[in-house]
Amino acid sequence: MKTMRVLMLVLLAVVMAACSATPTVAPATNPPAPITSAPAATTAPATAAPATSAPTVAVPTASLVLGSWRVDDADAWAKILAEFTKQYPTITVTFDPTNPTDYNATLQTQLTTGTGPDLFFVRSFDVGRGLYTGKYVASVKDLPGLNTAFDAATLQPWSDVATGTPFAVPIAAVSNGIFYNQDIFTAQGIALPKTWEDLMAAAKKLKTAGITPFANGLKDEWDINEVVWMGLVPSVIGGLDGRNAYLNGDRCFNDPTMVSSFQEIADLQPYLPNGFAAIGVNDAENLFFQGKAAMMFDGSWSTKIYEQANLPFKWSVFQIPGPAGKDLYETFMIDSAIGMNAATKNPEAAKIFLEWLETKDFNDTFANNVPGFFPMSKTPTTISDPIAALFLTFNSNAKGTDIRFTWDKIQTGPTGSQGAYNLALAGEDAILKGQMTPQQAADNLQSGLAQWYAPAKTCKK
Amino acid sequence: MALVATPGEKKLNPAKKLYRSIFNQETRRKTIWLLFLFPALAVYLVFMAAPLIDSLRLSLYTGVGLTPTKFVGLQNFIDLFTNPLWRGLFFGAVLHTCEFFAIHMTVQNTLGLLFAALLVSSFRGRDTFRAIIFAPATFSVLVVGFLWTLILNPSWGAVDIILNKIGLSSWALPWLGDARVALPVISLTSAWQWVGMPTMMFLAGLVGVPEELVEAARVDGASEWTAFWKIKFPLLMPVVGIVAVITFVDNFNAFDVIFAMAGVRGTPNYSTDLLATLFYRVGIAGEQPSGLPNMGIGAAIATMIFLILMIGVSLWLFVFRRQTPSQV
Repeated sequence: MKTMRVLMLVLLAVVMAACSATPTVAPATNPPAPITSAPAATTAPATAAPATSAPTVAVPTASLVLGSWRVDDADAWAKILAEFTKQYPTITVTFDPTNPTDYNATLQTQLTTGTGPDLFFVRSFDVGRGLYTGKYVASVKDLPGLNTAFDAATLQPWSDVATGTPFAVPIAAVSNGIFYNQDIFTAQGIALPKTWEDLMAAAKKLKTAGITPFANGLKDEWDINEVVWMGLVPSVIGGLDGRNAYLNGDRCFNDPTMVSSFQEIADLQPYLPNGFAAIGVNDAENLFFQGKAAMMFDGSWSTKIYEQANLPFKWSVFQIPGPAGKDLYETFMIDSAIGMNAATKNPEAAKIFLEWLETKDFNDTFANNVPGFFPMSKTPTTISDPIAALFLTFNSNAKGTDIRFTWDKIQTGPTGSQGAYNLALAGEDAILKGQMTPQQAADNLQSGLAQWYAPAKTCKK
Repeated sequence: MALVATPGEKKLNPAKKLYRSIFNQETRRKTIWLLFLFPALAVYLVFMAAPLIDSLRLSLYTGVGLTPTKFVGLQNFIDLFTNPLWRGLFFGAVLHTCEFFAIHMTVQNTLGLLFAALLVSSFRGRDTFRAIIFAPATFSVLVVGFLWTLILNPSWGAVDIILNKIGLSSWALPWLGDARVALPVISLTSAWQWVGMPTMMFLAGLVGVPEELVEAARVDGASEWTAFWKIKFPLLMPVVGIVAVITFVDNFNAFDVIFAMAGVRGTPNYSTDLLATLFYRVGIAGEQPSGLPNMGIGAAIATMIFLILMIGVSLWLFVFRRQTPSQV
């Protein structure tokens, strides 16, 4: 019995030791399989590297963590960060992504509890600005070369409203377009549509031939909202000037122009797949890949998915056309920027990384590893991916570019459900299910915004 | 017990004397259970009670960030109940949760009782059936939700393909995309998964019914149906009560099955928005795609969930304790 008692005591001691040894730090900082860049190379540094700003202080040795919502690009980022370590062998950066829907909350938690990454992707506009006013993200106002690399308009979504201080280095914008099955188009004798009316005529022809014209569905709500509606809206309302008119109250959100943008959604309804209400983005892409749907509204961020699918037919992308007689505008959405944790233990190393983001070296490495994401700096970029290059021509082809319609000022509102994002989405959902007319959808948008957005209350009819 | 050391005992120092005088053997015997209870109580207090109370406290504050600091009293609750921006969302969520619970409870527990009644008697393959009925309860909720999403897919899902093939095409709806049927469908999926639990509990209860009572009833001429409803079922009431309250608590907290099948935004058109998903969207994740969480209102929603659960469980305690005082 005595040995039993001793054994039990020993077991208890072991269990207590094990329990107390478990870390209490938030799990997000200890990812199960961190993507580390190449370890500090002691051999030849980068040889033919184009001009990188030579650091004026000795380069510190550091190990940084980069937080992001781009879980899909983990491999690509490993290569990009390896390129950085080639330049600065004593600094290693680890990519630590979180699921996009959880990113804001996870980052907020990490920053509040002091376990945040040294560098992280910053959301544009209000969310990022909130981090700056909360003193979680550091100012980059004095970062060398920032103002030569980026113009004020590009920095604006990541600048504090009151003081104009930028707090993140913009790295990528994405573009919208329509992916199409070239073989089907050739077989049906359809030319690339130049206007919205042409597009509808092409869709009608495809439907009569028994082919689903568009693959998009409603189940992933962001798809119909951000990719379809916000993709076609700029050409309908007149780009940035048009959007500003709505934001200033010069136009009401239910004027005939806005109604016509919802009418375009209604036009699409007969050409969506069977049971589209329950089809999400992955299902839709599958329909396209199987050749069952001829076209899909999608964006440049998906380029890699299509390329890696090794599709058995010829495919390409064309620009979302605008209504006949109106100028063409392209939705070029500023997507991500990288900022520095105000409480990081390695500020010099982090600043060196941020400076590197302004260089052509980064631009080329980034654009070519993550095709479909376009660097926003004035430093020139060489794009090698043909589809990504094609997307870029949409910008020059259009009269101008603009960000997604609801993103600035009217996006969320006090409760989210009354933000323009959700109001427009509710309208699109109801139109496609035959529960609302385009006029009613626009009215819904106007009345919802008027509840809390001052210019909408006093808009000129 | 003597306060003075009797001859033969070791001499006690004053401190030990005082201790022994207060905590004499009588007291110690009566209160030793507290010592045994203490570790579990400590864990419960630290990890469950304290966060709960802090959450209730948080609902009285507002502000940005993880811990709101501005005290606003009951303003958050007033907003939830009267502010048109919040009211629609909140009451919608309450209604949907009630609908979810009603369907789940009815289907799951009725089927559970039926299966238990069938499985009581021994027949060939009974053990296999028991395993099959209980197996889904052992699967991960996310896996079950995802697989059913595939089965219900309008393009290649089995349900619609079968409906089309047998000629009922008008019934082949886009199940998870139709605001009228999405929530009932998700509720049925969840009921399907968990039907094994009440089955097992009812089975255990039925097996515990003394055989003599049923025999006596049969001798008196009762049919199988009468024997079941008049004898077995009343004796099963405690189990029915427990199953009901467990279903109630689980359903009002339901989040994982909705997350797996419809996401947290309450697609389509907020028709699958339950209290837990509303709380998650408002208090933790922030409105997609770029909103910030509002912890004050989120905590208020969580407090409301707590209150609803407390009222429900108290009602159960009141009803069932009165009914079967000896057996509960």
